[in-house]
Amino acid sequence: MAGILLFSFYGLGQSLASGGYESDDHDVDHGYDEEYGHNGRQASAATSPLYKEECGGCHMVYPPTLLPGRSWQKIMAELDDHFGENAELDMETQLQIEDYLLRASDRVAYRKLFRNLGDMAPMRITELPYFVHEHDEIPGRFIQDNDQVRSLSQCNACHRDAERGLFDEDDVFIAGVGRWDD
Amino acid sequence: MLIFGAIVIAAGTAAAAQSPIEQLDTYREQGIEQVDSDRGMDLWYAPVNERSCTHCHGDNPADTGKHAKTGKRIAAMAPSVNPERYQSARKIEKWFLRNCKWTFGRECNTQEKADILTWLSGQ
Repeated sequence: MAGILLFSFYGLGQSLASGGYESDDHDVDHGYDEEYGHNGRQASAATSPLYKEECGGCHMVYPPTLLPGRSWQKIMAELDDHFGENAELDMETQLQIEDYLLRASDRVAYRKLFRNLGDMAPMRITELPYFVHEHDEIPGRFIQDNDQVRSLSQCNACHRDAERGLFDEDDVFIAGVGRWDD
Repeated sequence: MLIFGAIVIAAGTAAAAQSPIEQLDTYREQGIEQVDSDRGMDLWYAPVNERSCTHCHGDNPADTGKHAKTGKRIAAMAPSVNPERYQSARKIEKWFLRNCKWTFGRECNTQEKADILTWLSGQ
């Protein structure tokens, strides 16, 4: 267990080193690399093996930077009813993952993603005002009525590098549909 | 409930079972005198409130499953095609806790876990 912890902190150290400055001016659509330097991919993708194993067992490994820390806190406090599923963890594992998420989400964040959020702590990435704005033009047949996507929560059905924190609009490829071109 | 979960998993970890047989030994130590593979199979396929294990794991434990909600791939449950299964007592107990609650609306008792694991480990 100590090894896992050390590894996660090492990952965090890398995040800090590579993405420790804030920028509101750059458009995140152009990718993390431009906003946070060439090492930006590591800054955004989840680095904790424990988080990846425990949470990635059931769903894609959401980069911790996609929600503010206060949202992760709420999510981790309600794992016995995790969007209708039971995702309970033993207390030690739960605390370690929460600690990782809080550190990772607060160190490097998609500032633009949290625009107009105020003090709100949404439980879903898909509820972020910026997220809603970015996805409001997509027809239902590509998402809800598309058996290979079904929900905007499945980031990687269209953003195939989502787990690495890459959401460039030019790279969107909608499962069962093809390249997105608006 | 979380505290109870922690105790169950802590107990599993302390036993340090390394194989399905060892985990079944652990259940035996916990008072299970007889296991019944057929009873385990019945539980696996039993529909409860329109849910069953097959909802996510599929009809054949030797096939890859798919999470009913997220669509995430679930590796086959049968050790004959996925030898990594049931090597960790901690994992066995974690998934029994979560998935019995989701599927049956309650935790599985030790007898039920022993029966299901007996059936699955022979697949």
